[in-house]
Amino acid sequence: METQAIQDELILYGRRFKSRLLLGTARYDSPSLLADAIGVADPALLTVSLRRQLSGSKESGASFWNLLRETKRTLLPNTAGCLTAQEAVKTACIGRELFQTNLVKLEVIGDEVNLQPDPFGLVEAAIELVKLGFQVLPYCTEDWVLCRRLMDAGCEVLMPWAAPIGTGQGPRNVPALRELRQRAPEVPLIIDAGIGLPSQACQVMEWGFDGVLLNTAVSRALDPVRMADAFAQAVRAGRSAFLAGPMTVKDFAVPSTPEIGRPFVSDPSVLLPLVASEH
Amino acid sequence: MFVLVNGQAYPLPESVTLASLLRSVSPPAPFAVALNEEFVPRGTYEDCLVRPNDRIDIVHPTAGG
Repeated sequence: METQAIQDELILYGRRFKSRLLLGTARYDSPSLLADAIGVADPALLTVSLRRQLSGSKESGASFWNLLRETKRTLLPNTAGCLTAQEAVKTACIGRELFQTNLVKLEVIGDEVNLQPDPFGLVEAAIELVKLGFQVLPYCTEDWVLCRRLMDAGCEVLMPWAAPIGTGQGPRNVPALRELRQRAPEVPLIIDAGIGLPSQACQVMEWGFDGVLLNTAVSRALDPVRMADAFAQAVRAGRSAFLAGPMTVKDFAVPSTPEIGRPFVSDPSVLLPLVASEH
Repeated sequence: MFVLVNGQAYPLPESVTLASLLRSVSPPAPFAVALNEEFVPRGTYEDCLVRPNDRIDIVHPTAGG
């Protein structure tokens, strides 16, 4: 089992992670809740952002920075709030210096109502950021052509949404998400945004997605720490189920208990067609 | 002369380097800086001159999803 666990590491841009859960750091009621949720969820990466100093904010400043450092987790700066490729590239450059990492969660928002990614700005920014040496993890839709363009741009990881950010709706376009998984079997795919329940995280992991990025589903739960634990278990369960290879779904009932030798059967020939169908 | 630091007017007696301005503002570490919406790498603060009405953004790590 230990060997299997080592072989099943999540690999993102050559970095190896035992966990397949990525956790956002926003919208917790207190820094201690965030710290406890991180401890329980055991995330591979923590998403972070950058803003001007806000006086009195619990989510920035020296204490927040110290909390991040004490977790010893890999940080993934985002470009949240950027509406153009140019803004995203500038924000990524600032984030690289601030967090000392080439990793960037690229967000270019095309619609301020549902925070849907802008596919055109996303590709434009990805091309530029790859040229600048960034390791880009784009927050994208499940659109296959967009994903292909992002891969062509040099993105080695894709992060399609399940549903709009912060909605907790769960996967809205299941056929397209599963088709994306099938058409890009070698590319790490992280489901980012829209997951609300551990069962949904488990589901996408069962479909073969490589990881799940969560924020609001954990931070806005009544008990974020317990929910972080629930999600961690769900992600592990879904991954194990995927690796185990689920059974094939069938249209008709198949008895699990052997039919041959069943007592009280007056005419065994009535079972012959059923027995034959099993071979 | 005035410059805008994080959107607030900040008086300066004369044009100074960005490094000098930052010593004066003394933002808590860690931080990064944009001048007129362009990122300024830390290593170039001494060479970067701040002019009247320039907009300086000083940003810090914050929570994000």
